[in-house]
Amino acid sequence: MTAQDGTGRRNFWQKLQAIDRRWIYLVVWLVVMLPLIFPFYIKPRPTPPTEKLFQFIDTMPRDKALAISIDYGPDTQAELQPMLVALLRHAFATHHRVGMLAMVITGLGLGEDALRQVTAEFNAHATTHDDSVINGEDYAFWGWSTPPVTVILGMGENIAKVFPVDYYGAKTESLPITKHLKNYGDIGILVSIAASAFPLSWINLAQTQFGVRLGCGITAVSAADFYPYLNSGQFSGMLGGMKGAAEYEQLVEERMAQNDQVWHLRMKGTEAMSSQSAAHLAIIAFIIIGNIAFFATRRRKS
Amino acid sequence: MQRRLPLILVLLTGIFGAITFFIPHHALQTADAAMRNDVQRIITAFGLVLGVGSLLQHHFLKIRRKMENWPYSYITIITLVVSAVIGVFGGLDPTKPGILPTHIAGFSFHIQTLFTNMLVPLGATMFSLLAFFMASAAYRAFRARNLEATLLLAAAFILMLGAVPLGRMIFHPLPSFAEWILAVPNMAAKRGINFGIQLGIFATALKIVLGIERGWLGGGGGK
Repeated sequence: MTAQDGTGRRNFWQKLQAIDRRWIYLVVWLVVMLPLIFPFYIKPRPTPPTEKLFQFIDTMPRDKALAISIDYGPDTQAELQPMLVALLRHAFATHHRVGMLAMVITGLGLGEDALRQVTAEFNAHATTHDDSVINGEDYAFWGWSTPPVTVILGMGENIAKVFPVDYYGAKTESLPITKHLKNYGDIGILVSIAASAFPLSWINLAQTQFGVRLGCGITAVSAADFYPYLNSGQFSGMLGGMKGAAEYEQLVEERMAQNDQVWHLRMKGTEAMSSQSAAHLAIIAFIIIGNIAFFATRRRKS
Repeated sequence: MQRRLPLILVLLTGIFGAITFFIPHHALQTADAAMRNDVQRIITAFGLVLGVGSLLQHHFLKIRRKMENWPYSYITIITLVVSAVIGVFGGLDPTKPGILPTHIAGFSFHIQTLFTNMLVPLGATMFSLLAFFMASAAYRAFRARNLEATLLLAAAFILMLGAVPLGRMIFHPLPSFAEWILAVPNMAAKRGINFGIQLGIFATALKIVLGIERGWLGGGGGK
C-alpha cells in the first residue's frame, strides 16, 4: 500500500515536471487576456528614474525643445509607444517645442501614429492659436536618416542639413520651428526610446561631443543595462518598461490636471499594469511549482 | 592588390577618423564633415542597393531550386516590391496623396494603413510570443540547484514583483528593494562587464585598422 502511494506520488511529481507546455501557454494567455477584458486599475507609484526625467522636462526653460528619437519598431511598441505618447503630452502641456526623428525606419509609422493621436487630443480642446499644436510651429517630425553616426554628429551642427526635408516632404529650413531649433544647443533634452543599445550611441556621440542632456525609455528586459549610465548622470532620467510608461502617464495626468486639462485620456501603460501584474505572478507561481516538483522528485530518487 | 587596397583604405580612414577628434584644425574638420555627411551616406546608399540585390538574389535562388520553404520567398519578394512602390509613389496618407492611387472605393492601402494594419500586428505578435516561451522556460529550467541559482531565483522574484504595482501592495518596501538591486549590485557588475566589452571593442578595432584582423575581407582570411 505504502509502495503504491509512493509510486503514485512519484508519478504525480514527475508528471508535473513534464507537463505539456500547452497548459502553461493556456494559463499565460488567460492571465494576460482576462485583466484586459475585465480591467482592474492599479496605479503605479513613480520610481526615482521616472521622476527625474519628468522633473527635468517639466522645469526645462520654455525656449528649449524636447527631442525624441524613436529607436524602436512595432515589435516593442506595446511597451514603448505609451512612453512616446506620454512624453508628447507632457511637452505640449508645458508648451515646449518638440523635434522628433527615427533611427529605426519602422519607427516612422509609430511616430506618425503618436503625433496624430496627441495633436488631435490637444487640438480638440484648443480655442486659440496658442492652444493649438501645429506641425512646423510647435513640433517637427524630421523623419529617418542614416547612417546613425552621421545623423547624431550632424545634428550637433545643423539639423536642417541632416534632414533637408521633414517626414511630410516640407523643407526643414522653411519650417518656422527651425528658427528656434537649429542644433543641440536648442534642445533641452533628447530622449531616446529604444529597444536596443541606441541610447548608448547618443551618449557616445551626442553627449560626449556636444554636451546634450539625455534621457531614455527602454524595455524592461534591457533596463538593467542602462543603470550605470543613469547613476553616473549621463542619463537625466529613465523610463523602464511598461511600468515606467505607466508611472510617467500618472505624472503627466497630474501635471495636466494642474493646467485644468482634465480630459480623461487613454493611458495604455496604466491599463496594461493589471495584465502585467497577473502575468508576473503567474510566472512566479510556475517557478515555485516547478521547484517543488524538482525537489520532490530528487528526494524520492535519493 | 585585391587585398592590399582595402587594407590601405581601412588604415587611412581609421587613422583619419581617430585624429579628427584630437586636432581641431579647420581644414581637417571640414574634411571630416565631408566624410561623415557625404561619403558615409553615399556608402550607405550603395549598401541599400547591395542589400536589396542580395535579398532578391537569395530568394530567387530559393524559388528556382525549390529549397525548403520556398513559397515564402514569393511573399518576401511581393511585399518588398508592393511596399516600396506604395511607399515611394503612393504618398504618406489620404491627406497627402502621391502620384499613385491608394484607394479602391472605401479600401485604402496607403503606406501608413499598411504599416498600422500589417507590420504593427505582425511585429507585436512575434514579440508577444516571448511571454509564452519565457513562462514555459521558467517552469522547466529555473531551478534552485545550488547557492548561485538560489540567489538568482531570489533576485528574479524581487525584480518581477518590484516591476509591477502589485509588488507594493504585497510588501510595501519591495519596489525600493528592487530598485536598489538594479542601482547597486547590478550596476557594479554591469560596469565591470562594460569595461571588459569596451576594451575588447577597442582592441578589435585597432586590429582591424592595423590590418592584423582580416576576417572582414571574406574568404576566412582572419589571422
